[in-house]
Amino acid sequence: MRPYQVATAAAIVLIAAVAMFDSRAAFNPSAGTSPGDVGARWYPFWAATIMGIAALVVVYRSLTLPQAAEGVFEGRKSVFAVLKLAVPMVVYALLIGGIGWRTTDFTYTVIPPFGFYLGTALYMGLFAWWLGRYKIWWVALISVAVPLAIFAAFEIGFRVSLPKSFLYTSGILPF
Amino acid sequence: MEVLGDLARGFGTALQPINMAMLLVAVILGLVIGVLPGLGGTSGVAILLPITVFIAHGSLPGSDATTAIIFLAGIYWGALFGGVITSILFNIPGEPWAVVLLFDGFPLAKRLRKPGLALASSFVSSFLGALVSTILFTFFALPIALKALEFGPAELFAVFVLSFATLIGLGAEAPMKSLAMLALGLLLAAVGFDTITGEQRLNFGQVPLLSGISFVPVTIGLFGIGEILASAEEQGIGYVEKISARLGLADVFEAIRELRKRIRLVLSNAIIGFFFGVLPGHGATAASFLGYGLARQYSSNKENFGKGEISGIMGPQSAADSAGVASLVPMITLGIPGSPTSAVIMAGLFIWGLQPGPVLFIQHPDFVWGLIASIYLGHLLTFIICLLAVPLLAMIMRVPYAIITPFIVVISIIGSYSLNNSMLDVFITVIFGVIGYWLRKMKYPLAPLVVALVLGDSTERELRKALIAGHGSPLYFFNSGLSTVIILIAVVLVLIPLIRTIRRRRAAAAAAESPAHP
Repeated sequence: MRPYQVATAAAIVLIAAVAMFDSRAAFNPSAGTSPGDVGARWYPFWAATIMGIAALVVVYRSLTLPQAAEGVFEGRKSVFAVLKLAVPMVVYALLIGGIGWRTTDFTYTVIPPFGFYLGTALYMGLFAWWLGRYKIWWVALISVAVPLAIFAAFEIGFRVSLPKSFLYTSGILPF
Repeated sequence: MEVLGDLARGFGTALQPINMAMLLVAVILGLVIGVLPGLGGTSGVAILLPITVFIAHGSLPGSDATTAIIFLAGIYWGALFGGVITSILFNIPGEPWAVVLLFDGFPLAKRLRKPGLALASSFVSSFLGALVSTILFTFFALPIALKALEFGPAELFAVFVLSFATLIGLGAEAPMKSLAMLALGLLLAAVGFDTITGEQRLNFGQVPLLSGISFVPVTIGLFGIGEILASAEEQGIGYVEKISARLGLADVFEAIRELRKRIRLVLSNAIIGFFFGVLPGHGATAASFLGYGLARQYSSNKENFGKGEISGIMGPQSAADSAGVASLVPMITLGIPGSPTSAVIMAGLFIWGLQPGPVLFIQHPDFVWGLIASIYLGHLLTFIICLLAVPLLAMIMRVPYAIITPFIVVISIIGSYSLNNSMLDVFITVIFGVIGYWLRKMKYPLAPLVVALVLGDSTERELRKALIAGHGSPLYFFNSGLSTVIILIAVVLVLIPLIRTIRRRRAAAAAAESPAHP
């Protein structure tokens, strides 16, 4: 447990250091120039300082106090149980918006945006097929029914527009 | 008795058909959310928050901001009750405040084969606890709010500091971890434009970050995605025992008979739960453990605890539900959330264009009293539905993991996207989901982070207003007797963990020095 505790607290210290560096203008002479003699960077600087000091104390205590002998996970099975959910979730979020970048002249697309509905169909279908081991027609039914129900509830019912796919922008699909 | 007149007016508002209809929908949704182990009350309320924008702006016939708050709070009441069903029948806590029911609720259901009695005992004590708390809420809220109207920036800042101090001093986790999370929340709240000078800060040149980090996607990530990842880990390694149950009238009457034997315990735990719930950041979970401890300490059947003792169900349940209701008191009267869930509800008020705090009582009395009346009605509805629909609610647990888990992720993504139509919010949800899961594993408390994130702007505003008024001098905070007293109490609260450590070390040293007795 000790290395994980130290690494987590060290990461918090790092975030604090970055925020303190960004807010270093807190030390610019602002007396008499900012309202209340406190500039915009003063508050985030001290919030980051408190966070950094607290995390340093956690590092120190993790290194000096006895720690639980068991690991963070109970075994490989529990690590895989989390990864099975976390990795597809990240891919799902990336698929919705697509992957690419824009310069002043060009837009580079690595994966076109699948939008919410196509992304959800793939995501729900993947779980039904992979973890549920359902027959193919059940997988197809889940993949179609869930996005359709959400489309009816949100686009038609609440009139909330969710992200659309590249097939929508090219006029092939209504979502 | 002006309060009773106000309450009667509140019932007039809450009993309007649209408000009752939305309350019914909300408590059913809350019960479902409570039953699902991967979805908690906080994340459930956060996910459904964007829908309330449409409710508050009159998308439904006759709906307004009062309908929206009744809807959001109703989800919380449902979740408070729903979490116990999975604890008692499946040995899996549906909500953090139902963990304590694993000790006696599940044994009573399984070993003593009385699942109906276990459930009925939990529901009647929850209902009574919530009722006591709501009555106290009714009579305490207005005086607190009227007093708070006299507060200036120094007093308001002192109250914020006090709420942060309770999170550090009275929290269950290591105080330094609480402090780090609290400061992280304040830091995240500072991202974007400074509201006083208009300067950009902590956005690292990224335009989307100029508008700041939104509270809702962070909360959905920390609580929704974080919980589902934790639940995936548990279900990946655990075996789930299932007991089927039907709740008959005989169970209810037996539970009422048992309640009458323990009426002093239930009422005293409800009152203690109320005052505990009013403290920021604690809410129902901490109160449930406190309630269990008290029930055990004052029981003449200590040896039965852990084996299906009914006091081990009724004690924590009355305290938990009472604290759940009480966590709305500081939110409504002072603008300070008493729990992560009430922090989300408070974020809802901001989104609907309302300012939580004492001014609400003056500017929007129908809103406040409608909410208070709806707490009575919401608990009554939840209680009745629980008695009628336990088998149906338990069936939700039979929906396969491969469908329900990705579905919760999907609705979390919708919840985070639809508030600002922003893909950045979706990525924030996913990132904070992973962060929340990891912080939980490392035993960092999430309540200080969420409370500080929602209070960060107000805290900075009041601090700087006070400094402007005091021409930059921190001594301004001690000009008022009230703010001085509040700051001193805050200092004492922060010192509590230190005092505890010193006493523990002294006791250990004394034990080591004393000669061993044969």
